Amino acid sequence: MIKSDTQKVRNIGISAHIDSGKTTLTERILFYTKRIHAIHEVKGKDGVGATMDSMELERERGITITSAATFCEWKGHEINIIDTPGHVDFTIEVERSLRVLDGAILVLCAVGGVQSQSITVDQQMKRYNVPCIAFVNKCDRSGADPSRVISQLRSKLGHNAVALQIPLGLEMDLQGIVDLVSMKALYFDGDNGEIIRIENIPEDLLDLARKKREELIDAASMFSDELTEAILEEREIPERLILDAVRKGTLKRRMTPVFVGSAYKNKGIQPLLDGVNRLLPCPADVQNEAMDMDNNEAPVILAADTSMPIVALAFKLEDGLYGQLTYIRVYQGNMARGATIINARSGKKIKVGRVVRMHAEQMEEIEAIPAGYIGALFGVECASGDTFVSPGINLTMTSMFVPNPVISLAIAPKDNKAQINMSKALGRFTKEDPTFRTHVDIETGETIIEGMGELHLEVYVERMKREYAAEVSTGAPRVAYRETITQRADFNYTHKKQTGGAGQYGRVAGYLEPVADADFVFENDVRGGNIPTQYIAAVEKGFRQCIAKGPKMEFPVTGVKVVINDGASHAVDSSDMAFQAAARGAFKEGYLRAKPVIHEPIMKVVVETPTEFQGAVMGLLNQRRGMIVGAQDDGPMCVIEAQAPLAEMFGFSTVLRSSSQGKAQFTMEFALYRQVPQSIAETIAEDTARRKKNAA
Amino acid sequence: MFKNDLIVRNPLRRMGSETDDVIPEGGFGAVLAHAGVGKTALLVQLALNAMLRDRNVLHISLNDPVGKVSLWYQELFHHLAKETQVQQIHQLWETILPHRFILTFKAEGFSVPRLEERLTDLMAQDIFHPQMMIMDGLRFDESGRQPLCDLKAMAARRRMRVWFTVNAHRHEQPGPDGLPVQLLHVADLFDIVLELQPQGSEIHIKPLKGSPAAFDGSPLLLDPSTMLIRGNG
Repeated sequence: MIKSDTQKVRNIGISAHIDSGKTTLTERILFYTKRIHAIHEVKGKDGVGATMDSMELERERGITITSAATFCEWKGHEINIIDTPGHVDFTIEVERSLRVLDGAILVLCAVGGVQSQSITVDQQMKRYNVPCIAFVNKCDRSGADPSRVISQLRSKLGHNAVALQIPLGLEMDLQGIVDLVSMKALYFDGDNGEIIRIENIPEDLLDLARKKREELIDAASMFSDELTEAILEEREIPERLILDAVRKGTLKRRMTPVFVGSAYKNKGIQPLLDGVNRLLPCPADVQNEAMDMDNNEAPVILAADTSMPIVALAFKLEDGLYGQLTYIRVYQGNMARGATIINARSGKKIKVGRVVRMHAEQMEEIEAIPAGYIGALFGVECASGDTFVSPGINLTMTSMFVPNPVISLAIAPKDNKAQINMSKALGRFTKEDPTFRTHVDIETGETIIEGMGELHLEVYVERMKREYAAEVSTGAPRVAYRETITQRADFNYTHKKQTGGAGQYGRVAGYLEPVADADFVFENDVRGGNIPTQYIAAVEKGFRQCIAKGPKMEFPVTGVKVVINDGASHAVDSSDMAFQAAARGAFKEGYLRAKPVIHEPIMKVVVETPTEFQGAVMGLLNQRRGMIVGAQDDGPMCVIEAQAPLAEMFGFSTVLRSSSQGKAQFTMEFALYRQVPQSIAETIAEDTARRKKNAA
Repeated sequence: MFKNDLIVRNPLRRMGSETDDVIPEGGFGAVLAHAGVGKTALLVQLALNAMLRDRNVLHISLNDPVGKVSLWYQELFHHLAKETQVQQIHQLWETILPHRFILTFKAEGFSVPRLEERLTDLMAQDIFHPQMMIMDGLRFDESGRQPLCDLKAMAARRRMRVWFTVNAHRHEQPGPDGLPVQLLHVADLFDIVLELQPQGSEIHIKPLKGSPAAFDGSPLLLDPSTMLIRGNG
């Protein structure tokens, strides 16, 4: 039975850089919380494509630890572990899962430290104000240096990172941990480290432990007067006082307590779980807001109260054996079986059917999901990101803003069976991820998929193969170029046709000008009824028709403001049709005078590389028309930040690997649109012309 | 063109220097102040001014990450554009951006040979050819004279103009000619030394070395709210 003491609920995420041991850690957590009964090893990880590898492995082993939310219990607390996709390409997915978290464990590698992706993940947590504790994993590896990682947390991520533990031995010699709060040494005995042996701290570590404890108490005292008093009075300081203060600092995100250990060697996991219980927020500690759709998306604070109307967010869809499983987090009210809810986006009324909770290996039927909890619904028709509410209120958890895709790819099924499966898969993916879109190109008949980056699309193609057995071949990725104008230009166009029957007449005059922060703005400045009011809408429609496909290269037009200030009509021959045609003509006329240019998506590329390859990496970026913003020299490693056109970045990962002996890695996300240089614009024009010819 | 409207009226001109390039190729300039007064802001303005005139600026920071440095530029550029009411600042920003390159080092990891190595990398591959260098956060008291002499030689060889920030310590008495102690042993290497002095709600820019103190009379000021050099009057 689901309890409803939200004080003892933790909805947490485990955020990590690829290969810092997230899978192993999650598995150990499930083992110690008795959700799984044996420990398997994650083998054969080479760091490349590790997320996919580990997903595959998990599936082979029949453990669904990557399911969107896994429930487990630790010392009377109910912990929901929410999967946070590792890669930045999945921005929407990542952000949606961050919405439903109350706290997170930031896993860092004791050898690799804070890497570029940790930085991205951390920024996202910052944006959603997610409190976190850090776990420095892999302390058993050679080159492990947790204190360096802590100083990187401070310098690179700006966290007020404070050690709560220090390792007992390091690298090969890692024996356990020293808990700085209780000032005890913990050893992890038994085959799987399940027996915790508590001893006194070895003599040789005592001085260091005292010093670190002092630092901890010092940092914690910032958040507790009681603790400060105890220090000043030189009293014995109870553990509770320290932990309460650390918790306060953590919840405000002004302190990041750091745990150490090695998931692989079964060391330090149970204390980390204690930390989750003791230091991370419960749902009531976090203020959640919804937007009131009846009131201009004004924020409304939700109360974790089961007697209030329901507000819940569908954050992930999964195809299960018994149909679509919709993972939801209930923020307010009580989502009980048989209740009536409304999908705020579509307005559709839904009756709640089966309500379940996911465990690592099985699911459990429950009666209801109360506020603050995470669970799943069966057979509910919705898309990921939808909000469910009780009838009578009109709130939404997510703003409807979705970025436009920057890259597209033509895909073709290999055979008939693949064709059917492919359309099934596409239907599912587009529902799950609003940044992933698909359409059929009318001119070529090809199925086009669109998304936020090369990897984004690659992963979906891979998933089609694995999950839907849909073998598809892919074309070359195509960049989503855009057109825009660079200067003001006037137009004055008359559309006149008299070829028997009713004539057509409309004149539209005005000007176009560039506008920075909108795709299209229409302004009616016509005085004295030169264009009768009833035709203004038709004029606007005519202009809007033009921006879908620009007159220059047939790319979508953005950043254009159209102002009409004059025109003429005819008592008999003017019609909506005539004015739409006149507007189209006017647009073409003005557009070509307004010096149109092509814009291309520019990606923010961050490469992390050993310093010896810095020059080589900069060279690579430079060859790709990349503009290097800067380089950060960090001793053995360096981070290069650049802006590079998406069109030039295809296959970059391969080149980067081969020119850095596989040691450099990079992340890439969309940054902005920028004008294409003249020479490249010509090439694009030729390509477009060629493609059109082929299609014809 | 908009660029001309924006080019910062060179404050140093008012100190008696006629050309925009106040210091010669291979020359050194320094801005001295207590922490937080606006050294970086002043140098970023000089850098922006150079970028607007199509000069390449290499910004080296020994304290701040790349993101923070680039934020300085963005902020000051926007303030500047707002004050001069230039339109289409976005386009302009895009055109000057390629003239800037940020390199950051951990203070303890910085050395002149290391910088030299980076520069050679950048120039050999034709990635970036700096004409001006901003050196933010070098500790003068610790580094001694030799690194600065090496830098001077490098600047001369590569024909760069180099500006430094110098952190003044409150507890120290200045030397005989008003120069702070940490600059005394290297003062001969510098063509110009400016000091930022907060006085009430104003920040004065005062020349300590290199230009005659007699300029047109009105004090040169930094506006504390925008950190911009105040226009004439």
